[in-house]
Amino acid sequence: MPKSRRFFSAQNRREWLLPALFIAPALAVLLSLSIYPLIYSITISLQQETSSGVVWSFGNFARLFSDNFFLTAMAHTFVYGVAALSCEFLLGLGLALLLNSRMRGRGLFRASLLVPMMLPSVVVGVVWRLMLNPDFGAINGTLRWLGVNTESLTWTASPKLAMLSVIAVDVWQWTPFVFLVLLAGLQAIPEEPYEAALIDGSSRWQTFWHVTLPLLRPSILIVLLLRTMDLLRVFDQIFILTEGGPGFATETISLYIYRTAFRFFDFGYAAAMSFVLLALTNVISVIYIKFLQAKDAI
Amino acid sequence: MRSRFRYVLLIPALLFALAPVYWMLTISLKSEVDQFATPPRWFGFTPTLDHYYDAFVARGFGDYLLTSAIVAVTSTICALVIGTLAAYALTRFELPWRLNRHLSLWILSTRMFPAIVTVVPLFLMMRDLRLLNTRASLIIVYTAFNLPFVVWMMRGFFADLPRDLEEAALVDGDSRLNALVRVVLPLVAPGLAATAVFCLIISWNEFLFALVLTQTDAAMTLPVGIAGRVTQYEIKWGVMSAAASVALVPILVFALALQKYLVRGLSLGAVKG
Repeated sequence: MPKSRRFFSAQNRREWLLPALFIAPALAVLLSLSIYPLIYSITISLQQETSSGVVWSFGNFARLFSDNFFLTAMAHTFVYGVAALSCEFLLGLGLALLLNSRMRGRGLFRASLLVPMMLPSVVVGVVWRLMLNPDFGAINGTLRWLGVNTESLTWTASPKLAMLSVIAVDVWQWTPFVFLVLLAGLQAIPEEPYEAALIDGSSRWQTFWHVTLPLLRPSILIVLLLRTMDLLRVFDQIFILTEGGPGFATETISLYIYRTAFRFFDFGYAAAMSFVLLALTNVISVIYIKFLQAKDAI
Repeated sequence: MRSRFRYVLLIPALLFALAPVYWMLTISLKSEVDQFATPPRWFGFTPTLDHYYDAFVARGFGDYLLTSAIVAVTSTICALVIGTLAAYALTRFELPWRLNRHLSLWILSTRMFPAIVTVVPLFLMMRDLRLLNTRASLIIVYTAFNLPFVVWMMRGFFADLPRDLEEAALVDGDSRLNALVRVVLPLVAPGLAATAVFCLIISWNEFLFALVLTQTDAAMTLPVGIAGRVTQYEIKWGVMSAAASVALVPILVFALALQKYLVRGLSLGAVKG
């Protein structure tokens, strides 16, 4: 190891040239298309147009606290996130446990269960519009055929059921992802702890609680962090299914930012709101990155 | 007995996962009479390809499909070339001031920005550059979007590779670039392919940037074209389903090819499943 370290280390300035050339294009792309936009966004969020021209102010940020639409959109995002995350986690864990053993047709089950999460989100939107349409949808059609009165079941068109519907669609699409990561985690657990538990005469519940869950913790953490980040920024499926409606019933923070920027053309306020979202996801991404760091010494 | 119980739970899960997609496929193949029949016809209808013809020949979906393919392939190639070089340098050279670590983490952190945060300034930048409604704008944005992903995936694959072979090539008098192309890349080829397929899927599926940056028929991608049809008042169920079915076919093929690397990619290399 010491020999190869020396071999690969840059001993003088000329040897820095090659790695610098290799890394430069990537840095240039990220600086101009990730960092510069962020700075640009800060400047427009701090500017406001008035009759006497553009002035610098914190007005856009001050507005956040008195904007009921913004606060409602935050609340919707929170409800959506908590409900979807808990359902996805429990269902995904259950499926992973069910499939974590040798059984006939396991490969087929695994591959089929993954279909929803691979679909383009627009296709997910189309699929569920076809299922949930109150008049021609497959769900209400089948329920009517079974003799259920579907008059009040208008799903995405109903102020009461719309949020539930979009959450259900998220659960449909993303439970497979939770399942997949947890299954990989379960399969990485060695046999020995289970054999020891068997010898100790642990019940199946005790084994699950004291052996499986602790050993699965890293995978659980990964999947919860990644899902939380994605749930906070959810946009695509809701945009296709309800466009935030009916009324404001399913408007999440990303949809409200989109509407502010591209319907009302208030870019400054949209930018200010997006920084709130960035701050929220940043907390989570910092935890995630710390965790990755601990896992591999870079 | 226990294993039979397992199937009792798994088969409904399987049906729940697949039935909605199956329903959309049948709608794309049904005449309007069958589409709106009561009770709904899950089986037993006369298939027709009319909606596919209508979408891709009579309406503009052929163009959207072409745009999607061009944008996905070009941006994937750009991200792979730029990202692989950076990943190689970050794993194989010892940079001063612990830059390997700092740069890697910084690159990863750019990946975590929510799209809605960067889409507003990028829209304004593209407007100033007069690149709105061009394929170029999407290629540029998707390259940047996929780049951190490529760097992190390839970093993992390079790190898994022993250094002896490269050292041998270097001792033989090869240049560094030559050793990378001749020795290292063939060895990480499966990883490179998996990363490429991931980038293709991400670009193909992407919606928000495409929605904001392209609104004309000439530059619209397939997802935006489909979304435009959905939100209009009169919904053409058949056309929409046909277009959506075509959008999902390449994804399913790719995903099957990718099964082995799926977990690794989706967790940005955190889980080596």
